[in-house]
Amino acid sequence: MLIISLAIRDLFRDRFFLLCNTAILVGVLVPLLLLFGVKNGVYAALLNEMLADPASRQIDTAGNTTFSEADVAPIRDWPGVAFVTPKIRSQFDFVNVRSVEGKRLVAALIVPSGPGDPTLPKDATLTPGRLAISASLARQLNLTTGAPLQLITQAEDRPRQLVLDASVGLVLPEQAVSGRVVLAPFEVLDLIEAFYDAYTLPDHGIEGTKPLEQRVPRYGGIRVYAQKLEMLAPLQARLEDHLGVATLARSREVEALLGLGRNLTLALGLTAALASVGLGAALGFAFWSDVARKRGVLASIALVGVPGRTLMLFPMIQAMVTGLLGLVVSWIGYQVAGRIAQKLFGDGLPNDAALTVITAWQAMAIGGAVLVLLLGVSAIAGWSVQRIDPATVLREVT
Amino acid sequence: MANTSLPCRLTCCREQMSTGLHMVDGRITLWDGDRSFQVHVPDLQLATGQALALTGASGSGKTLILEMLGLLRAPEAGTTYCVDGTNLAPLWRGGPRNPKLAEMRGRLFGFVPQSGGLLPFLTVAENIAVPQRVCQRPDPVWCTTLVDRLGLNDQAGQYPASLSIGQRQRTAIARALSHRPRIVIADEPTSALDPTSADQVLALFLEIAAEQGAGVILSSHDLARMARHGIAQRNLVVEPGWPVKSRLEEGPC
Repeated sequence: MLIISLAIRDLFRDRFFLLCNTAILVGVLVPLLLLFGVKNGVYAALLNEMLADPASRQIDTAGNTTFSEADVAPIRDWPGVAFVTPKIRSQFDFVNVRSVEGKRLVAALIVPSGPGDPTLPKDATLTPGRLAISASLARQLNLTTGAPLQLITQAEDRPRQLVLDASVGLVLPEQAVSGRVVLAPFEVLDLIEAFYDAYTLPDHGIEGTKPLEQRVPRYGGIRVYAQKLEMLAPLQARLEDHLGVATLARSREVEALLGLGRNLTLALGLTAALASVGLGAALGFAFWSDVARKRGVLASIALVGVPGRTLMLFPMIQAMVTGLLGLVVSWIGYQVAGRIAQKLFGDGLPNDAALTVITAWQAMAIGGAVLVLLLGVSAIAGWSVQRIDPATVLREVT
Repeated sequence: MANTSLPCRLTCCREQMSTGLHMVDGRITLWDGDRSFQVHVPDLQLATGQALALTGASGSGKTLILEMLGLLRAPEAGTTYCVDGTNLAPLWRGGPRNPKLAEMRGRLFGFVPQSGGLLPFLTVAENIAVPQRVCQRPDPVWCTTLVDRLGLNDQAGQYPASLSIGQRQRTAIARALSHRPRIVIADEPTSALDPTSADQVLALFLEIAAEQGAGVILSSHDLARMARHGIAQRNLVVEPGWPVKSRLEEGPC
């Protein structure tokens, strides 16, 4: 198309104008890209660290209380709930774990778990005979997946120990759970509590003072996991309201981090908006004044039969080319500045995360927004081009 | 234009098929605040291949008539204006930004502005080819011929900034002729040239235009040069009184 070639030829002949406008773009875009990249990088690193720890989404009832299944059942259907499990009374959730092959015995915390528990990998299934153990426990007892183990419970006034045979179904990764922990279906914990409560357990050869049939199921507490970090605080509030007890969760930390993210986004958004106004004004006036400067040239193009509607594309095409050039140079500038910043300040980030992060989609969105801004401001110059009178060239010396 | 006179004017256009250009009762008024300047062209005809010079004192409205003829300024209602049998006056009904006006201007007319009006970012050869690109009628052989005949071979790859005024005017003439327009409009095309160059450039201009059957309308103060080149003349006379009125008379002044 003729007008494209004329606009580009003129732009590259007028290279100081092009360099000037590109410099304006780079001067505004590189600091903004760097700020955006750092905000993304640092915030994403902190957020990922929090997301990697399922405990960040965990809500536990505080102390020992008594709940029935009727209290717990509706919670499973609440929106934002990823997993719910009842708990036994806290004094009974320690067991001794013995490696059958190694003969060694250590104390470990036994935690109720099941399908949907974010501590477990997605497809993992636990049964009373197939349990998950923490990496620390596996290391201390030299246990691997499939290895047999025993859970041993000893009550002070009971002549016999409760011994539960099981195998290692899964060794959890180090970051999933810390310390010596066994994850088991709730029924295993319920059995241990029944043992402590002196019920007779004929399947395990335990003679108690009360028949098991008389036992009414009661829970000592509840553990709930939120689906997302954003749902943690509202879910905790709803849970406390529903159960009428205090709960423990990392809501304050999570809210602080999410609030930091929101504030950084807001601050960056305000900065970007102000910069966009300045950038738009600077480039808008630059293209407008350029059109005024080249009135004679544009009138010459109109004189040979290029209609005003086509001629108005002249500054807009130049703006697009300038924008693309500015974006490319700005991206290079951002990459260089990002690497320098990484070397200077990137050491303290968790898991060696990158200090500056801009995804491909974000980069494309930024590029698109810059081009739309330039198209908008150059359209004003385009409107003024349309009003150029080609008779000018017959009367004025260009 | 009044409907009662339309059939007569359409006939006029049909009759002038062989005539390159015909304007009847052309009127245009320029306003500067509350002051007006009126120009009247009672009847102007130009056959294909002919040249006509508009003469008159400075400020008599020569450029204004050229602008009206070149579809750059709207004539007043009542004007009949035919080029190659096409009545162009109705095109102004779509407003001054009617794309059809620009299209007809590019197709039917070639322009030689006083200043040359070249695009500084294109070479001489590229400037000459611009009207062909606008009309989408590329003819590189004809461009080369024009470059050759106007003595611009050595300058074909140069930019206008490095050309002399004479070379710029020759480039402007080549550009005005490159798309084989029906009419070439030239506003004092040789005023910036020395007498010898002016004669050479004008002779070449008229020769090439006549060869391709293009009519030439130019404005000039140099009556002697026009006469030397055998160019017919029409004189613009400013009538005494207020508002200022100018009228194109038959014959030279």
